[in-house]
Amino acid sequence: MAEYKGMAQPSRAGEKDMRKIHIEPIPDEQKPEKALEYLDYYRKKFRSFVMAMESCTKCGLCAENCHTYLGTRDPNNIPTNRAELIRKIYRRYFTLEGRWFGNLVGAEDISLDVIEQWYSYFWQCSECRRCAHVCPFGIDTCEVTMAGRQILHWLGITPKLHADVGAAMERVGNHTGLPKPGIIDTLEFMAEECMDEFGIEIEYPVDKPDADIMYVPSSADFLLNPYTLMGAGMFFKYIGANWTIPSTVTEAGNFGLLFDQRYTQRHNVMRLLNAAQDLNVKKIVWGECGHGWRAAKMYVPSLADRPVRWDITHIHDEIAHLIRTKQIKLDPSKITRPVTLHDPCNYVRACGLNDNMRTCIKAAVSNYVEMSPNGADNFCCGGGSGILFDDKQMYQKRIELSWKKAEQVRATGIGKNGDGILCAPCSICKAQLYPMVEEHELGVEVKGLIDLVGMALDWK
Amino acid sequence: MKLLIGQILPFITITIFVLGVFYRLGRWVGARIVHNITLSDPWLKSGGEVAVKIGTEAFLFRSLFKFDKALWAGAFIMHFALLNVLGGHIVGFGLLGEQFAYIPGITAEMSKDASNLLGTVFGIVLFVSIAYLLIRRLTIKEVKSIGNSSDVIWLVYLLLIVGVGNIMRLFHQFHIEYEPVRDYIVALFTLQPVVGMELLESPFFLIHFLLVQILLIVFPFSKLMHLFGMFAERWIVNRVYHDPAPGMPNIDVPAARKAGLGLPSGGGGESASEGV
Repeated sequence: MAEYKGMAQPSRAGEKDMRKIHIEPIPDEQKPEKALEYLDYYRKKFRSFVMAMESCTKCGLCAENCHTYLGTRDPNNIPTNRAELIRKIYRRYFTLEGRWFGNLVGAEDISLDVIEQWYSYFWQCSECRRCAHVCPFGIDTCEVTMAGRQILHWLGITPKLHADVGAAMERVGNHTGLPKPGIIDTLEFMAEECMDEFGIEIEYPVDKPDADIMYVPSSADFLLNPYTLMGAGMFFKYIGANWTIPSTVTEAGNFGLLFDQRYTQRHNVMRLLNAAQDLNVKKIVWGECGHGWRAAKMYVPSLADRPVRWDITHIHDEIAHLIRTKQIKLDPSKITRPVTLHDPCNYVRACGLNDNMRTCIKAAVSNYVEMSPNGADNFCCGGGSGILFDDKQMYQKRIELSWKKAEQVRATGIGKNGDGILCAPCSICKAQLYPMVEEHELGVEVKGLIDLVGMALDWK
Repeated sequence: MKLLIGQILPFITITIFVLGVFYRLGRWVGARIVHNITLSDPWLKSGGEVAVKIGTEAFLFRSLFKFDKALWAGAFIMHFALLNVLGGHIVGFGLLGEQFAYIPGITAEMSKDASNLLGTVFGIVLFVSIAYLLIRRLTIKEVKSIGNSSDVIWLVYLLLIVGVGNIMRLFHQFHIEYEPVRDYIVALFTLQPVVGMELLESPFFLIHFLLVQILLIVFPFSKLMHLFGMFAERWIVNRVYHDPAPGMPNIDVPAARKAGLGLPSGGGGESASEGV
């Protein structure tokens, strides 16, 4: 189903797909009652959710600060209105004002229509948290989207894309379903490419026991972003690292964060910790993946079922550290095309990567143009939280959701001559922007940040 | 009626207000901060930085100023005036308008004049700024689309309270003196024999006093709780966070470069030995 009563919806996972990720779908007639039960559970557990339900004054500041609303102009995509889709139910059943005054305070009975509304709008939100950043109270509407998606998931309503990714993660340890032989083949091919293109000899150690560093790449780097993985390979070779890629976790992402913060997300965390223990590594370094980095940095401590013995840092942190301490040398004259940086939401609003990304990019390229707004104020690419749906109606939405981003890129002027580089160091941003820079005719090529660092390394 | 509003209701009001606020705070505390969702805009590295961040948001409305100056102007001026009006009620009645006489060189008379002037000015500013927020809520498409009836009703209700208060200030014939009010309040809350009930003969005083009491009764169950919600929310998203130190184990870049790692030929040591 791509639409429900005029609302766009991503195509949803079937019953079989849901069972693969351990969910037994609830029959339609029981959904409203069950939704209330799960909502009650959620509100009693998550203060971030309760506060988003109970402290908004409807000042409206979030409206003009949400790329989803700016792109679609659909009132339900104003962050506080999106939260209102749950808040109206929350009020009706869990607050005195809602029980007594009903309509006057905007309370509404639960129904299947409301649940379908949730499915449409919570899957148009990018969970980018720009609304939390601008809100005078700091209300994190992302927490409401997460609650909505979790409740929908327990009801058995999850986009097929996300359910399949969750199942693939459990099966082979990455989102794309790539098995170990495929991983090794691809990495050998990349090493050859590196030799052909850059004249640099590298290898990718897979499952190397007792390596110092466990590098967790995004699985999209094996297929869509080869230069990111090649850049990482060259970087580790350049510094002479004893590193390895674990075949059981060839995935920096964790889609559990986006649709199921219980089983799916937790399972991926355990997988990671098991891999680190089995390979007996000393440190975990993360690859380019926005939501995945947030999941690793901020959620591993609260989801792990045992003490975490390893520091987890991002490869940008490490590269920036080596640049600042003058241990590695980059030659910016190798990349003279105009470059701008799209700050991935999770990096700048949830993980504090702002400065380190700039340290890397300014050392790697000679013509850097800052986007406006940037850093923590930046707008999302429109694909955030993996809403990379390909069915016709949702793809159309993706074009609308990236409208603000397109405007920002155009304003930098880097695409004037058609040779600009839009650096978007996050797999979801890349997957969204590859087609979107074409749709919006921006005259730029999308690249990762490690791609640029790898190319700029000064080997002499 | 006068007995109800003047001598019974205040106790009910205060009881409901206090218990209600505790009830709401209890609901919030009952749910936990499960994951670390601190905002990194940027990381706050110490308790002092957290205090500055939350303080500037709470008392200067920093985010509003940064992202919407028109809204900031309305909201900040309104809350600033409100703070002064509430403070004015306390010190004005409490010290009979002589609060500024504590400043050396200022006489009781001058203090009373200043108190009157400030009260009048902030009363008018408060009224105008609430009216501005109301107009904004009714005219801007986005703001209109997010509100419920109650959001509008609250603003109208506040206008009523402030409007009635202003009438008592601006029109001489409806003026209320500080002293009888103080005596009435003191008697009421020290459980002494009630004095000053004749105050309630004034319809404006009666309405003002009644509306405020109703507001306080509804307060804990309404959006006005954002007074506390603001801090509870910021307590979740503005916390101290320290990044783990960068630096990878057993890395010796100069040695690696000296060995010419990665360079297939002519680079040095290792690869040269492989020869051509």
